[in-house]
Amino acid sequence: MTQNIQTIDVPIAEPFAEPLVPPSQTPYVERPHGPVGRSEDRIDGPEKVLGTALYGADLFYGRADCFVSVVRSEPAHAEIVAVDPSAALKMPGVLGVYTHRDVRGTNRQGLIVRDHPVLAESRVLFRGDAIAVVVATSERTAEDARRAVRVDYRPLPVVADMDAALAPDAPRLHPDGNIMGGKRIRKGDADAALAAADVIVSESFCTQTVDHAFLDLEAGIAHYDGRTLTIHVSGQWVHEERRLIALALGLPLESVRIICPATGGAFGGREDISIQIYLGIAAIQHPGKTVALRYSREESMRARHKRHAMRIYYTVGATRDGLLTAAKITVFSDEGAYRSTGPAVCRKAASHATGPYRIPNVSVDVYGVFTNNNPTGAMRGFGACQMAIAYEGMMDRLAARLGIDRLEVRRRNLIRSGDAVTTGQRIPIATAVECLDAAVRRLRQCPPPRPTDPHKSRTRPPALPPHLRRGVGYSVICFGLGYGDGFPDASRARVGVSDQGRIQVFTGGVEYGQGLITMAAQVAAEELGVSVRETDVVWADTEQTFESGSSSATRQTYFTGNAIRLAASELKEQLLDIASKLLGVHPHELELRDGCVVGRFDPARSVPLAEVVAQGRARGYSLEATALFKPRTVCEDFDTGQSPRAFITYLFGSHIAEVLVDIETGEVRVDRYIACHDVGRAINPQSVAGQMAGGATQGIGMALMEEVVNRDGRIANPNFTDYILPTFRDIPPVECVILENDDPGGPFGARGIGEPPLIAATPAVLSAIADAIGVHTHTTPCTPQRVWELLHPDEAAVPPDARFSLAPPHARLER
Amino acid sequence: MFSQPTTLEEALDVRARCGPDLLPIAGGTDIVVAMNRGQLRPAGFLDLTHVRGLDAVRHENGRYECGGAATHATLSRLPVEALAEAALSVGGPAIRNRGTIGGNLVTASPAGDGCVALLALDADVELAHASRGRRVVPLREYFLGYRKTALLADELITRVRFPKDWITAWYKIGKRGSVNISVVCCAIGRSPTGLFHIALGSVAATPIRAPHAEEIVNRDGLTDGAIAEAADAVRRDISPIDDHRASAKYRAAMSVTLVARLLRRIRDRVKEPAR
Ligand SMILES: Cc1cc2nc3c(=O)[nH]c(=O)nc-3n(C[C@H](O)[C@H](O)[C@H](O)COP(=O)(O)OP(=O)(O)OC[C@H]3O[C@@H](n4cnc5c(N)ncnc54)[C@H](O)[C@@H]3O)c2cc1C
Repeated sequence: MTQNIQTIDVPIAEPFAEPLVPPSQTPYVERPHGPVGRSEDRIDGPEKVLGTALYGADLFYGRADCFVSVVRSEPAHAEIVAVDPSAALKMPGVLGVYTHRDVRGTNRQGLIVRDHPVLAESRVLFRGDAIAVVVATSERTAEDARRAVRVDYRPLPVVADMDAALAPDAPRLHPDGNIMGGKRIRKGDADAALAAADVIVSESFCTQTVDHAFLDLEAGIAHYDGRTLTIHVSGQWVHEERRLIALALGLPLESVRIICPATGGAFGGREDISIQIYLGIAAIQHPGKTVALRYSREESMRARHKRHAMRIYYTVGATRDGLLTAAKITVFSDEGAYRSTGPAVCRKAASHATGPYRIPNVSVDVYGVFTNNNPTGAMRGFGACQMAIAYEGMMDRLAARLGIDRLEVRRRNLIRSGDAVTTGQRIPIATAVECLDAAVRRLRQCPPPRPTDPHKSRTRPPALPPHLRRGVGYSVICFGLGYGDGFPDASRARVGVSDQGRIQVFTGGVEYGQGLITMAAQVAAEELGVSVRETDVVWADTEQTFESGSSSATRQTYFTGNAIRLAASELKEQLLDIASKLLGVHPHELELRDGCVVGRFDPARSVPLAEVVAQGRARGYSLEATALFKPRTVCEDFDTGQSPRAFITYLFGSHIAEVLVDIETGEVRVDRYIACHDVGRAINPQSVAGQMAGGATQGIGMALMEEVVNRDGRIANPNFTDYILPTFRDIPPVECVILENDDPGGPFGARGIGEPPLIAATPAVLSAIADAIGVHTHTTPCTPQRVWELLHPDEAAVPPDARFSLAPPHARLER
Repeated sequence: MFSQPTTLEEALDVRARCGPDLLPIAGGTDIVVAMNRGQLRPAGFLDLTHVRGLDAVRHENGRYECGGAATHATLSRLPVEALAEAALSVGGPAIRNRGTIGGNLVTASPAGDGCVALLALDADVELAHASRGRRVVPLREYFLGYRKTALLADELITRVRFPKDWITAWYKIGKRGSVNISVVCCAIGRSPTGLFHIALGSVAATPIRAPHAEEIVNRDGLTDGAIAEAADAVRRDISPIDDHRASAKYRAAMSVTLVARLLRRIRDRVKEPAR
C-alpha cells in the first residue's frame, strides 16, 4: 500500500495565499501523469469571480414576465377551514391564486416517502407549510396579494418538541403516530457485556437544529409552452426533481426539463424540492409566460428543512485497559413535520453510531420523532455528524475515567485495515490511525502558521492571564460514502468529442461550488490525454445529461468520476481504433497524449486528435460513449443492522483543535486548527483542501454558535442577525493534511471528501473545550453562555437534566 | 420624496418642515434592515450623508466634538479606548464605513455599542431644530425607554461631545468575532478627578449607567473589596431579560464579571495606590 501525504494550509482569516502543493514523493504504479492530482484552476472560476456566471437570482431579475409568491401557514399546527383569495384576486396586477385544487398531479413531495402535500390540503404541520401560490405582474404586488389571501384555521395543539410528541396524549401528526420509525443494530450481547465490563460510562448528548445557510438564496424562473415545463432553479439532483415535479403536477416525465443555474452552496439544503414546484404550478397556469420566484432569507429559513436535532443516550463498557467491550445507544431525532430524507438520516446515524471504533457488542436504537417543527432532512454530515459528537465525547470521558491518555484510548480501539465497523462490514483499507498520527505529527512538528491578522496578533497575550485556559481536542471519524444500505446508487456519464477535437463531458451532477465539474474535466482529460483547457463540461440539465444521482453523500467524485472514466475510456478505444487505421499501428501500441494519438514505442508516428475525429466522423464512428457506474451495496438486516457491504467504501479523518476559553465569560476562541483526511487520491488537492477548510468552518460553527431556535413551532431567529454563522475572525487558518491511500474502486484511487471534514470538526472543538475547562460538554452549540453554565451548573437557565427528560431504559447505569 | 441637503441649515430646515414624513437617513444600516423586514416603509428620505462637516470629528478644550454623521470607522481611529474599541466591534468593515454614531444613538438599541461607550464618557448630545435652536442633553438623560429617546421628530442630532483624556475600558461578549451583537457589553470611564462612569448594554430596555456600582468605587476607590462590591452592586442597576440571545441569569453574571474585569483593568492603568 502506498501512502502519499500532502499538506495545504488554507488561510481562512486572510486572502488566499499561493497554494502550497508539494509534488508527490511516492511513486505509484497507476500514478496519473495528466491533470489528475494537480490543483487545476476551477473551470467555473473566472466567470464566478468576474460576476458573469448567472445564478438563480440573476435569472429572476433578468427574464421574468410575472412573479410568484407563496402563502404559508402561520400556525405550526392547524386544520385549514377555508382559503379565501377573493380580496387578493381583486387587487390590480394579480393574475391568479392557486391552491391544491389547481394541482393536477398527486400534489405530493418527499424524497423517500411522498408524505408532504405540495400545497396543503386540510391540515398544516409546520409554520411555513405552503398553502397557496399567488401570481402577479410585479414582485411587490405578489407579496401584497399573498398577505391578502385569507386563510381560516382551526388551531390544533402544537407539538413543539420530542417530549411533547412522545407524551401519551400527544396529538397524532401522522396516521401511524408520532414515531416515524427508526433503525436498530444488534451485534453480540450489549447487555451482558455491559454487566461484565470493568467500567461503564454513560452520557446524554443534545445536538441542535442547524440551517444550511447557503448564501445563494432560492431563486429562479420557469416557463411552460403548453408541452414542456422548463425550470431554471438550483437543486442537487435535477433528475429526481424532474420525477417529483412530474408526479406532483401531473405531467409526463418527458414534459419536464430542469436546468440548474450557477449555484452558491447547497449542503443538503437543496435536496428537497423548493421553489421549483411552486414555479411549476404557476407556469402551468400561465403558459407562455416566464414566471419568477425568489425567497428572502427569512422565507428560506422558514420554508426549508433543517439538520436533525438529536438526543443521544450513550453507554459504553470497557476493560480496565480501556478496550471497549460494549456500547448501548438510543437516539431520538427530531424529524419535524414530514419525513424528507429523515429515514435515511436515521439509518446513517445508526450505522455510524460507534464511528471508527471496534466494539464487539453493540445495541443501537434510533427513532425519528415527528413534531411541528420544520421538516428535517439532508445536511452535510447526514446523521453521522451528530453521532461523532457522541462517540468522540465518550472516548474523552472514558479516557478521563480510566486516567489513560485520550489519544491512547483511541488508538487502542480504532479499527485497523481488515477490521469490521459496527454494521459488520470489513474495511480493507482503514486509515483512522494513520490520519490521527499524521494530524498529531503536524501538531508537534510544525509551528502554527504566523498570525497575520493584526487584531488577532494584538490580542494574543504573551502569557495567559488567569481567566484564560488553553485546551487541545482531537477527533477521529469514519464515514460510509454514497447512499449505502442497498439503496440504488448509480451515476451515468457521456463523453464525446467535438469536430474541433474538444472533449465534451455530460454529467447530471450539480456543481454548487464544490468543484464537481473541474473534477469531471480532470478525469476525462486524464483518461483521454488532453488538458483540462480542452475539455468542456455540460452539467445538470435533464435534457442534455443523463442521471448522475444527487450531489450529496460525498458520492460524486467516486460515482460520477468512475462513470466519466469508463465513458472516456470507451471513447478512447474508438479514437485509438481510428488512429490505428491512419497510422498503421496496432491500437494497443497507441496512446493519447497532449492532444495527439502517438505511437507508444514510436512517438514519431502521431496524428492530431482533430484529424482522428474528422476521419472517425467520415467512417461512421459515434465518437461518444456513455457509461453507467452502479456498484451494489447490501441492505442492512432489519433486526440486526448487519450487512457485509452497507457502504461502497469508507473514509477516515482526524482533526485537532486548539482553543482558548475565557472561564469567566465562557467565550471560546479557536486558535489553531488541523484537519487530516484520507481521500484515496486527491484529484484536485486545492479543491480537497477547500472542502476540508469549509467543512471545518461549518463544524466549528456547529460546535460554537449555529442554532435554529425553535419556540412553540416558531423559529425565533430566521435571519442572519441571530442565526450566528462563523466569520473570518472565528476560524484560524485550517492546516490541511491530505493522506492518499488509493481506493481500489475509486477513479484513479479517489474516494471523496465532501462531508467528513464537517463531521470531524465539531467533536474536536468540543474536546478542546473540555480539555481547557475540565468539564465535558454535552449540548451544542457551546455558546459563551453554555460554556459558562458548564462551569456554573446551578446557574443554568435550563437545568441540565430537564433537557433529557426522554430517559431511555438504560440510563444511569454508570459505575 | 428624497432630499439631499449639503448644508446643516438646509437639513435642519427640511427636518423642521417635513418632520416624520422624511426619514433622516445616514448610513442606512438600521433603516434598510427594518425596510427589508417590512417593519418600515418610509414615505421619503432626508439624506444626511452630503451635509458638509456633519461627519467630522474636532478637538477642542480637551474634548472631542464629533458630528452626528461621524462613522464608526472614524470613531475607531480616535485615541479614546472604550469608544474606539466599541466602534471597532460594530458589524464588519462595510457596516463601520456606513454606520454613524447619530444613527446608533437614534436607534437606541439596548445593544448599541456606541451608546454604551459614550455613556461611560458621560457624553453630551446636541439636538438641533431650525428655529428653536440647539439644546444639549447629557446622554444619561437621553434614553427614555425601549428605543425611545429625547430626540423630537423635527430635530436632528448634530453633535456629540465627550472628553479626550479619560482612562477608559471596553468589553463586549457576543457569540462570534465579528458582526457581533452584544450579549452583554460594558464600558467604564474614569475622569481625571477619579469619578467612575460605568455603562452597560443589553441588560435593560436601554443602554444604561450603573449608579449603584459607581457609588461604591467613587466612595471607596479601586480596592479589591470595592471592586467586588461594586461589581455585585451592578445587579441592582440592571434588569436583564431572557431571550434567544442569552438568559437573564447569564447577563446578570456577566455584568458582574465585566464590571470587575474592567475596573481592575483601569486600576492597572491608573497605577493609583489603592485607597
Ligand atoms: C450587519 C450589521 C451589523 C451591525 N452591528 C452592530 C453592532 O455590532 N453594534 C451596534 O451598535 N450596531 C450594529 N449595527 C446597527 C447599526 O449599524 C448602528 O446602529 C449604526 O450606528 C446606525 O447608523 P446609521 O447611520 O446606519 O443609521 P441609519 O440606519 O441611517 O438610521 C438609523 C436611525 O437614526 C436616524 N438618524 C440617523 N442619523 C440621524 C441624525 N443625525 N439625526 C437624527 N436622526 C438620525 C434615522 O432616521 C433612523 O431612525 C449593525 C447593523 C448591521 C446591518
